[in-house]
Amino acid sequence: MAVTVAPNAPAVTAKGSRRKRGGMAIAERRAGLLFVTPYLLYFLILQLAALAFAIWVSFHHYDLLALDNPWVGLRNYARLTVNQDFLIAMRNTTEYAVVVVILQTVFALLLAVLLDSKIKGRNFFRSTWYTPSIASSVVISMVFLYVYHPTGLLNSILGLVGIHTSEAYLESTTWALPALMFLAIWTTAPTFMLMFLAALQDIPKEVYEAAAVDGASGVRKLFSITIPLLRPIIFLVVSLGIIGCFQVFDQMFIMTSGGPLKATLSVALLIYDNLFHDVGTVGVACAEAIVLGLVIFALTLISRRVIDTKIEY
Amino acid sequence: MSISGSQPLDAEINAPVAMVTMPKRREGTDSTERINRLEVVVRYALYIVITLFLFIPFVMTVLSSFKTSAEVIAFPPTFLPSVWHPENYLHVLTQINGFPRMVFNSFFITFAAVALNLFFDSLVGYAFARLEFPFKNTLFAIMIASMVIPGFVFIVPRYILLLNAHLVNTYGALLVLYFLQPAYILLMTQFFKSIPRDLEEAAIVDGMGWFGIFWKIILPLARPALLATGILTFAGMWNGFFDWLIYMQDQTMFNIQLGLTTFRSVYQNQWDLIMAGSVLAILPILIVYIAGQRYFVRGIATTGMK
Repeated sequence: MAVTVAPNAPAVTAKGSRRKRGGMAIAERRAGLLFVTPYLLYFLILQLAALAFAIWVSFHHYDLLALDNPWVGLRNYARLTVNQDFLIAMRNTTEYAVVVVILQTVFALLLAVLLDSKIKGRNFFRSTWYTPSIASSVVISMVFLYVYHPTGLLNSILGLVGIHTSEAYLESTTWALPALMFLAIWTTAPTFMLMFLAALQDIPKEVYEAAAVDGASGVRKLFSITIPLLRPIIFLVVSLGIIGCFQVFDQMFIMTSGGPLKATLSVALLIYDNLFHDVGTVGVACAEAIVLGLVIFALTLISRRVIDTKIEY
Repeated sequence: MSISGSQPLDAEINAPVAMVTMPKRREGTDSTERINRLEVVVRYALYIVITLFLFIPFVMTVLSSFKTSAEVIAFPPTFLPSVWHPENYLHVLTQINGFPRMVFNSFFITFAAVALNLFFDSLVGYAFARLEFPFKNTLFAIMIASMVIPGFVFIVPRYILLLNAHLVNTYGALLVLYFLQPAYILLMTQFFKSIPRDLEEAAIVDGMGWFGIFWKIILPLARPALLATGILTFAGMWNGFFDWLIYMQDQTMFNIQLGLTTFRSVYQNQWDLIMAGSVLAILPILIVYIAGQRYFVRGIATTGMK
């Protein structure tokens, strides 16, 4: 490349094609529009029209089988404020999201910092640590049904260290939600570990060398250099965490069905029930989904403000 | 031109991967060697504890899949199966209603979606990265912005749309929803922007059309990004559960994941089947992960998607 062709477009090429330039630009535009058409269709139908339709449905008393779906204005939204199930689900989901987002971010960062060091068998540790993230939510749920069984893995391990209990974690109003939080942290943290690890390796090592000259300790370096420099990726991890946690569904659906006594009822599970089990509540489900979307959006903006993604070296 | 052009390109593409796998930083000093040795022991202990913490549930699941249902949850517990029962796997395949069909459905949708995404994500990504056309920047901004809209907002309208298109309970429903994925279009766009333009300009001079340039010149160079897109799409589709739950109503249309959830209610407390089924459901994705780990890692680091 370096010898035969100059890095910038060679003069001959530019001159030779000048006359055709106009025709070519049209060909390029046509090709561009044609190539992008699949996404344009996806956007117009599956995103834009879908969003508009969801908003429209949320203003109606809607049923999948009904011929007439009357306009009810904001009533679906107003009812949410007095709907006990929605309030319980919102509280559970918020509690779940706050705990999981904070702990999984901290745990993921810890794992990444541990992997970003000179240690033998580093690739082995990275591969095994990542495994919980490649399994599907269904497999993870099945594995943890066994873990949390009264005579399952958790109580067996507790028995080994002298704590003998036959607690049925998923049937306890105290333990069911924390048990699902633990599962989420365990399975999601390794994904974010990989993102942190990639970002850690982008930090110029000179920064650490300078700190070492100044006699900064490892912990000090973590808090004064690493974490501040990772702010953009921390924001990304936190917002992906918020988006995921507020829509948590699979574990609740598979492991607890929202029970016991609605202790693990999430907003997503409630939306699903309103859609497919209850009658005439499709409009309500849409209102719930839109409120959920707005909550996620607002929290993402707030976390952006708090984390402050600007970096200065 | 020709081949020589791809030499520096490859180095550039591999750079981020190499960085992920190369631990070069923070050398220890001699004066602190003894403290370092203790530190190394403590550190290894920590690494091993974390490994056990993240890995033991899988080890126990695999071991449990060879036990009898009673032994899985026996008290006091056993570590290794007292008698190995490999026939548990045969039972999953023969005793579970329609399990082979679920395996087929999983593979079919996964491969179809991978093929569609490889083509459409790279095609659209190429247009965004290289071609000039009206509203390009607006559309690109819209694509990025729309990625943060929570999927739950779209469930009702998409369900009604697919219901009216008579696609519910068919493969079509999932293929319409996943024939392309904005996150991987973004991944492809970023990759194409890193390829030097010289090759295309030579092809333009030769009078090659844009699709020819994309298909014959650009795509062969895009192997690393295509592999990342393909592997992550494979993982996402293979592990899919929620869409199958919503759109597939007959058991003949279930995938392994959705089928596995029915084990719990239909084959109540048959822990041997649940554990063996879980191992079967994780096996293909584990193989893909082991074979394509570097692309997996790279893709997640750039898109944050799984």
